[in-house]
Amino acid sequence: MTGDYLWDRSGLPDPDVVRLERLLGTLREADHPARPLVFPIAVRVRRPAMASIMMVTALAATVIGLIAVSWRGASAPLPGLEVTRLEGTPTIESHPVTDRLELRAGGWLETDAQARASIDIASIGRVEVEPGTRLGLVSTRPGQHRLQLTRGTMHALIWAPPGQFAVDTPSSVAVDLGCAYTLRVDDDGVGHIRVTTGWVGFEWSGRESFIPAGAVCLTRPALGPGTPYFEDTSAPFRAALEVLDLQAGTAAERSAALDRILTEVRAKDAVTLWHLLSRVDRSERGRVFDRLAQFAPPPSGVTRAGVLAGQKQMLDDWWDTLGLGAANWWRVWKQQWREK
Amino acid sequence: MGKPSAAATPQRPDSNSDNIVRLVEAAQAGDRSAFAEIFAVYRRTVRGIVLSRVPYAEVDDLVQDVFLQAMQRLSSLRDPAAFPGWLAAIARNRATDCLRSAPRTTPLTDDLPIADADRTEALLVLALIQGLPDAYSETLTLRLVEGMTGPEIAARTGLTEGSVRVNLHRGMKQLRERLERKPA
Repeated sequence: MTGDYLWDRSGLPDPDVVRLERLLGTLREADHPARPLVFPIAVRVRRPAMASIMMVTALAATVIGLIAVSWRGASAPLPGLEVTRLEGTPTIESHPVTDRLELRAGGWLETDAQARASIDIASIGRVEVEPGTRLGLVSTRPGQHRLQLTRGTMHALIWAPPGQFAVDTPSSVAVDLGCAYTLRVDDDGVGHIRVTTGWVGFEWSGRESFIPAGAVCLTRPALGPGTPYFEDTSAPFRAALEVLDLQAGTAAERSAALDRILTEVRAKDAVTLWHLLSRVDRSERGRVFDRLAQFAPPPSGVTRAGVLAGQKQMLDDWWDTLGLGAANWWRVWKQQWREK
Repeated sequence: MGKPSAAATPQRPDSNSDNIVRLVEAAQAGDRSAFAEIFAVYRRTVRGIVLSRVPYAEVDDLVQDVFLQAMQRLSSLRDPAAFPGWLAAIARNRATDCLRSAPRTTPLTDDLPIADADRTEALLVLALIQGLPDAYSETLTLRLVEGMTGPEIAARTGLTEGSVRVNLHRGMKQLRERLERKPA
């Protein structure tokens, strides 16, 4: 590559980009005096409360006790999450939410066909609940908030660092990795996730799926998370993927489904191929390996034999080269939800 | 929830963020000058993120709002290396809140002389960019309005370079198509 002007102004300037830079640069802040940040009186950054040596001395006697209290407090359950009515009349344990109401651990928020609500997830994000939804609060504590979606649709927008928010569905736990996504659970317990920003991890009984922005994934009772795919894949591609996810048909039919996928797959679908590496019949893995290697060559240390043998570390190392975030990152965050 | 977003994968905090880690830790300990430095370094980024979503006239107030909210919440940020992505998420969220509370409009003449044809055209092109999927409009605004390079955008927003590069190129492709359709 000899340069990419749009990326880093290297190489030959693209005339369209140059023109747009000049035109839109007139909207830049540098054209106006930058407004200083004004701190309102009410806003205070937390400071250590050590005003004098005498105060330090007086406080010293209680330090050990305070440490113990704050340690417990840091992980102590919060009272609940605030639910705000958006439309209609959502209910919490049959109590109508006319404006705002607290959803406590163990409680359920329900919306009928006309109702919508939002939930503030402490200070880390917000969930919007669509009509026809049943959503429970499993637990909430600093750094860990867990909901349970048994039916309906929720949109999550989480701005906390990854791993602080998880949603149980009938067939998987969805762990947020810093993102926005929509999660729907049908009456038959099938879950659908569509990630719009960041990525989400689905996990059930050791079967896991990593779903990046722009991708969708299904999770089915007794089968767990399926293979993620980008929304713009063709219908035949998705149908073939379903055959593999459901382990449907004969070996020959599954092989034909894989043929279809390997024919239609694009470079951006590497995420789908990566998941298939550990999901197709062992005899078919070589074909998936070879196709994925055409789009994203395996890094040093990742061998064909190792991948075909299902070596997890090699799969993770390969994943890390796909530009979708590091696999071990997900595994660290996932662990805390698994241990519950 | 909003427009579909293309490749926008959060970047794993890494060792290159030493400086911001130091600043965030100092700000968490109450050092106002550290927060002022953070403001100086990240103002353009926040402005670009907000500008890609809300009307031009509302941007400056919203940028202030984002930093004040960040300052109030800074003590809850456990991993200072995650600050860029965390701040970017606050900016996106505040912009989304702003749009929900007031319908999106694109005032062209409130504070601008109508005779300023370049500025008017710039706002028209900005409106086209704002109409793209969020991930594309955000990276294009940071690149074309705020003048940041792709690597800078990645470092300041917590996104991977791969995601930013993809978003820039796909966004530019869509923008070209829309510019071709735009009446002269």
